[in-house]
Amino acid sequence: MVDLAYLRIYTTTVQSFMYQYDAIDQQLVEERVAQFRDQTRRYLNNELKEEEFLPLRLQNGLYIQRYAPMLRIAIPYGMVSSKQLRLLADITRRYDRGYGHFSTRQNLQLNWPKLEDVPDILEELATVEMHAVQTSGNCIRNTTTDQYSGVIADEVADPRPYCELIRQWSTFHPEFAFLPRKFKIAVCATESADRAAVQVHDIGLQLKKNDAGEVGFKVLVGGGLGRTPMIAETISDFIPRTDLLTYLDAIIRVYNQQGRRDNKYKARIKILVKALGIDEFRKRVDAEWEHLRGTESTVPMSEFDRLASFFTEPAYETLEEQPSILTEKLADSSAFARWYERNTFDHKKAGYRIVTLSLKKPGQAPGDATADQMEKAANLADQYSFGELRVSHEQNLVLADVRQDQLVELWEAAKENGFATPTLGLLTDMICCPGGDYCGLANAKSIPIAEQIQETFDNLDYLYDIGEVDLNISGCMNACGHHHVGNIGILGVDKKGAEFYQVSLGGASGHDASIGKILGPSFAQEEVGGVIQKVINVYVDNRTEEERFIDTFRRIGIKPFKEAAYAKAN
Amino acid sequence: MPKLIKNGEIVDNTYVWQQDVDASASDTTIVPMQKWLDNQDSIGNVAGIWIDAGEGVEPLAGVDLSQFEVIGINFPSFMDGRGFSYARLLRERLNYTGEIRALGSFMADQQGYLIRCGFNSFEFAEDVNLDIALTLNKPFNVAYQGDVADPRPIFLRRG
Repeated sequence: MVDLAYLRIYTTTVQSFMYQYDAIDQQLVEERVAQFRDQTRRYLNNELKEEEFLPLRLQNGLYIQRYAPMLRIAIPYGMVSSKQLRLLADITRRYDRGYGHFSTRQNLQLNWPKLEDVPDILEELATVEMHAVQTSGNCIRNTTTDQYSGVIADEVADPRPYCELIRQWSTFHPEFAFLPRKFKIAVCATESADRAAVQVHDIGLQLKKNDAGEVGFKVLVGGGLGRTPMIAETISDFIPRTDLLTYLDAIIRVYNQQGRRDNKYKARIKILVKALGIDEFRKRVDAEWEHLRGTESTVPMSEFDRLASFFTEPAYETLEEQPSILTEKLADSSAFARWYERNTFDHKKAGYRIVTLSLKKPGQAPGDATADQMEKAANLADQYSFGELRVSHEQNLVLADVRQDQLVELWEAAKENGFATPTLGLLTDMICCPGGDYCGLANAKSIPIAEQIQETFDNLDYLYDIGEVDLNISGCMNACGHHHVGNIGILGVDKKGAEFYQVSLGGASGHDASIGKILGPSFAQEEVGGVIQKVINVYVDNRTEEERFIDTFRRIGIKPFKEAAYAKAN
Repeated sequence: MPKLIKNGEIVDNTYVWQQDVDASASDTTIVPMQKWLDNQDSIGNVAGIWIDAGEGVEPLAGVDLSQFEVIGINFPSFMDGRGFSYARLLRERLNYTGEIRALGSFMADQQGYLIRCGFNSFEFAEDVNLDIALTLNKPFNVAYQGDVADPRPIFLRRG
């Protein structure tokens, strides 16, 4: 058991702009801790068989990995308070090796906890309204969304109240804890860009208003990565928000009964949707929904109001857009200007800016943060952004509400703490899974590939000249690094016991989502950096002035890239 | 007499789960759903039927379920969650009010969800300690979703 008195330092109340637990939410996470503590005890006493404990621990985010267990802590839709982040930092120090890994599902993974400590870790997390519920297993996983939610001008509505609604509906859903396979839902609220990758989720929800001005969702189904990557199809153009939960119940009830269970590689909903065709699948969902629509799970307006009330605007001040302290520094310092251009984003409120704290510093595994860095980030959030942060699916941290007149100060502090690598959206802002250095599933290491690419492309001027490229690395077909939807994707494969890497080009995860095409035979580890260099050269030689990498690729096709990558040296 | 958990108590199991319909079918046996559907005129009274994973409840549309004291649902593996949906459909769609019994390879730790989906009896494998299993049937005292016992989701129940 944990001495909770020790944790009092984390329970000071600050004003919050995110969801706050009430007694019921708190009781649920505490009862979960007690349940898992008992399950762990029975397992360690040989009262629970290995294969029985497996799904129970997975539903608490606990994998048994290559060298040690891995615990995946949920960060619902990526929102984390400074208070929570400080406790996470402290947990990595006391129970792990002083660092953690932010994942593409906006969660935090610990690589070295001890199995017998996990109940204590969960008990500590519960004190700050956190948990590891359903971060793994064949159940509904953490719902993800745009890391800029609530602070950008062009969103239809703030998606976070809907994410919280889905979080509560999916948490301990009695019917859907043993689905054929894992199930991931993402929500996007903007037309201009899709930062939540809704087209490659089991269910993608595009927040929209219909002609009558009612809020609802375009619903996509059957997208996903893994062994058989697929872009989702539209199952409904508009589901009113009040009907969201009954519609989700209908989709997943059809999947739970009819999805394949004979082969785990064919068990995702995308395979069912593909096998039936979207029209037949829709017919079956509609038949189920006929029974569910209008029942008690229809969400009343009062609940939307209640949920929205947590995500209120902080006390923004009336500020000048582009204050002189900012514009002068932009003129004086090209380094600052670079960071501003890449790592900050337009805010809906005049005089504010969204800032990304990069976790892609050369020499550090992409998405990793040390305990010190987590604490620094928490301090920066307190000082500059109302005490809150977001985790992005590109594995960075975001301060959503920074005053423009404090950007210079923040930049200096970010530099000191390794957060100011000014490469957001560029080639070296890679998505990367932990790979064979940690993961028991991986065929190959991914972190050394990321390092090689960082070393190959270490010249900032050159990186800026190349411009926006999404480069994603996965250590195996499970595709945790989203390699299929990288403009450049790198996949670790096992070739007669040796680690090789397959390169694909042309993937994208936004509203124009596409699955990358495989370049050709895989490469040895030491060749990868050189191959990526050749691919980039083809782009640079062929691009028009306006074109990003993906645009040139779509225009000229894969052939020139293939020829360059496999050309025999003269 | 073998034991099972029913309505939160350890009681005698007075029914026999039959894998097939044979001459021994009687008012104490639970017979396979499809066999019963195919041979209902010749079988005579049975205690109930059982549904295997993959069969679904659709074949029971139009059948008078009140004639069954029990409907069993088989779990070929504890990872196979189809039975959770079947039980809800029996209760919520087909309005079956008799006993719904979990059969096969389900786990004691799944009882909380199974009960919320409408199961009220649990025929465990022989090596399961029923006294311990009984302590695992209510891990949570609150829930977000509606369920068979109370269809109201949390947003209709928060004070």
